[in-house]
Amino acid sequence: MSSAIPVGDSHSEDHHDLGFIRTYIFSTDHKMIAKQFLVTSLLFLALGGMLAAMIRWQLGFPGQPLPFNLGAILPDTMAPGGIILPEFYNSLVTMHATFMVFFALMPLMAGVFGNLLIPLQIGADDMAFPRINMLSFWITPVAGAIMLASFFVEGGAAGAGWTSYAPLSTSGEWTGVYLGQILWLVSLIVLGFSSITGALNYVTTVIAMRAPGMTWFRIPLATWSLFVTAWLLLLAIPILTGGLILLLLDQTIGTAFFRPEGSGEPLMWQHIFWFFGHPEVYILILPAMGFVSEVIANRSRKPVFGYHSMVVAIVAIAFLGWVVWGHHMFQSGMNPFLGMSFMATTVVIAVPSAIKTFNWIGTLWKGDIHFDTPLLHAVSFVALFVIGGLSGIFLASAPVDIYLHDTYFIVAHLHYVLVGGSLFGIFAGITFWYPKMFGRMMNETLGKLHWGVSFIAYNLAFFPMHNLGVQGMMRRIYDPNQYEFLQSLQSTNTFISKSVFVFVSVQVLFAINFFWSMRKGKKAGDNPWDSNGLEWACPSPPPHGNFAEIPIVHRGPYEYSYPGREQDFWPQNEAPVESFGASTKPEHKPGE
Amino acid sequence: MLVLKKIEKLAAFTLVGSLLMVGCGGADSSDSAGSSSAASEATAMENPVDPSTAGNIVGSVAFEGSAPAMDAIDMSGESVCANKHSGTPMVQTVVVNDNGTLSNVFVYVKEGSAIDGMQFPTPSAALLDQDGCVYSPHVMGVMVDQEITIRNSDGLLHNINATPTEQRGFNSSQPVTMETSQDFGTPEVMIPLRCDVHGWMTAYIGVLTHPYHSVSDGSGDFSLSTLPEGDYVVEAWHEQYGTQSQTVTVTAGGTADVTFTFSADMANAVVPMGTPVDLHDHSLVTDQQ
Repeated sequence: MSSAIPVGDSHSEDHHDLGFIRTYIFSTDHKMIAKQFLVTSLLFLALGGMLAAMIRWQLGFPGQPLPFNLGAILPDTMAPGGIILPEFYNSLVTMHATFMVFFALMPLMAGVFGNLLIPLQIGADDMAFPRINMLSFWITPVAGAIMLASFFVEGGAAGAGWTSYAPLSTSGEWTGVYLGQILWLVSLIVLGFSSITGALNYVTTVIAMRAPGMTWFRIPLATWSLFVTAWLLLLAIPILTGGLILLLLDQTIGTAFFRPEGSGEPLMWQHIFWFFGHPEVYILILPAMGFVSEVIANRSRKPVFGYHSMVVAIVAIAFLGWVVWGHHMFQSGMNPFLGMSFMATTVVIAVPSAIKTFNWIGTLWKGDIHFDTPLLHAVSFVALFVIGGLSGIFLASAPVDIYLHDTYFIVAHLHYVLVGGSLFGIFAGITFWYPKMFGRMMNETLGKLHWGVSFIAYNLAFFPMHNLGVQGMMRRIYDPNQYEFLQSLQSTNTFISKSVFVFVSVQVLFAINFFWSMRKGKKAGDNPWDSNGLEWACPSPPPHGNFAEIPIVHRGPYEYSYPGREQDFWPQNEAPVESFGASTKPEHKPGE
Repeated sequence: MLVLKKIEKLAAFTLVGSLLMVGCGGADSSDSAGSSSAASEATAMENPVDPSTAGNIVGSVAFEGSAPAMDAIDMSGESVCANKHSGTPMVQTVVVNDNGTLSNVFVYVKEGSAIDGMQFPTPSAALLDQDGCVYSPHVMGVMVDQEITIRNSDGLLHNINATPTEQRGFNSSQPVTMETSQDFGTPEVMIPLRCDVHGWMTAYIGVLTHPYHSVSDGSGDFSLSTLPEGDYVVEAWHEQYGTQSQTVTVTAGGTADVTFTFSADMANAVVPMGTPVDLHDHSLVTDQQ
């Protein structure tokens, strides 16, 4: 009962003529590129997790050799006798955050789901610029190889933190890292081109390639959030890249943009970094908000509560994200009046965030809730994002931030946003769209077990960090026991570390489920979740070109449990009965 | 199924590719490993000086005036270190011996045409220990590329932050009882070292292209042995009282006696740090007469 327009230039016909290399390696198909991003970024996620485990080993068991004789595979410059050296610890915290932010979460959000969902949800056959899309992916492993190589050069990998504050980052004199810091800069400069080219594609595709009837307010929230995120990427990444180039010049040819000894201004780096850095936070969370909106509406069989306000909230968060960067710098000596204005703009972000949160709850309210794995992850996202958001309000207040700045309270806050928020949102997204990607369902038992242990271990690991921060434990500290007043926190640190080990270990269940289900999972069919979006109107997995015929959109994406309908869902492309056979002109009711 | 298999191939390809890229990073080639090898080769080199025609310089460093009182080090936060000291540990900036001489003065040949151009074998590793939260020795000399074994005998976190001016420094840490190796590739007098964890821990290392250096001991004595006959500018360096130089003539089989005298009045002297050593520079031969 769907309506569609025949596709003139069918991609499906030439699908089998491309050969292995062009189909699976240098593919221009957005779905294959999404899978390439998925595999690559999950590998980097695993690497980042291993680095996190090593960080927690040092904090939980300071001065003790790494377990399972892991120290034997590390050189003496990193961990002689298996004992992590402080300078290697600096590299661990720097590279953990770098891999997680730039090589795991960003590609998972934008690279995987931007590629997978945008063309499918708007009814396009591919991205606007497929070759640029391919380039966008292949830049990523090149940048990743450069970043990985930095572990193996003299002095080791960058150790100035992922924020790379000047002057710590301008000279190896402070960290003992010379080439490693340069490779860090080069890698991120290269990676920036991946983000920019990808974002360019997403923006163009959404604007220019929507199917007939796909008006702006019929676009699913996942694509809305990815579209807004793409704008953030387009505007933010060049700022970071510019700053990185200036820092690279300071490092290599002796310029002094940020070096005080050459009359440079270290604070300028902080301004540049955080002018990129705070929009970056929303780059890492907005897509997850979109995924969660989709999952919650679908699994509670209800329309998204306040669809229009959800869209406005996404745009508002993205806009406000540009005027709050100073809240990262309350301790930099800025004028208190300026600090107060940053404090005000930051607190204002709570408004659209609260709109979204209440709308998610409103969507769930009295819904026919299906407690399967995607929903469990999505609801966890909401709960944990609220905790991360509330601790953000504490930090947005300059007087409180002065006390909590650079303590473990910050570490707790950012992990509640980026793990509790982003990562659980990604898990919701992967488990929800896995059948569309691979044509099979993930195993529910394994999925729920993975979710349950992850959720418990995650909270046991990160919630106590708030208290560590309030007690004064500094972030990035190698051994808190060096300070007498922190020695009493060692038992908490050990407990946190054990919880992190459980959290990291249980991700193996996800990996097993991910790969096992590809072969053994139950066949999914085209629309296993009884969903409305256009991505469910094509086969699972979709063929090259996605749709045999261009779908025509008749309504919004969240028409669940519509009164009077036999089915509790109403696909966007299903023609209304009254117009069936009479016209292909899309209608604008209900839920535009 | 075909698609699944191909996806698996893709996953495997990506994994293998990533591992290969990691592998291409290459193995760690630390300076110390490289210089160890260079040191072994150099050790095999013969000393170019004929002992039968060589002479020696011996002497002492006298101190005039009242010995300044050094501050006591508060080690109460590091009981492990505090227990290693029988008395109250004192700052080692100025150590005046009971016989009125000065310890920790670095004495070395600054200029000397007789050794100009000579290649000397690199000695075996020198030891810099951290014991009782102080560096031992407080002042030392090494040759270019000579391995310096840095030992942590305390079993608690120390870092060794070397800040030379003529070459790249290092800032390495030792969280437990352990040893690491470092070396310097460029002559420089002196290179300051400090521990950022224990602010009182400082040391100085002089790096030379030749083995003619010594540090005045607990009796204020020093000696430079097996020098080819000729004229030398010998400099004495102290971390608070600055430098003094003397021209010394060494004869075959002879021993030249030299005395340097520092006084309490020199407390505000300019202390050169990070000075490159160039045996070709003979200007001081006349300046210091």
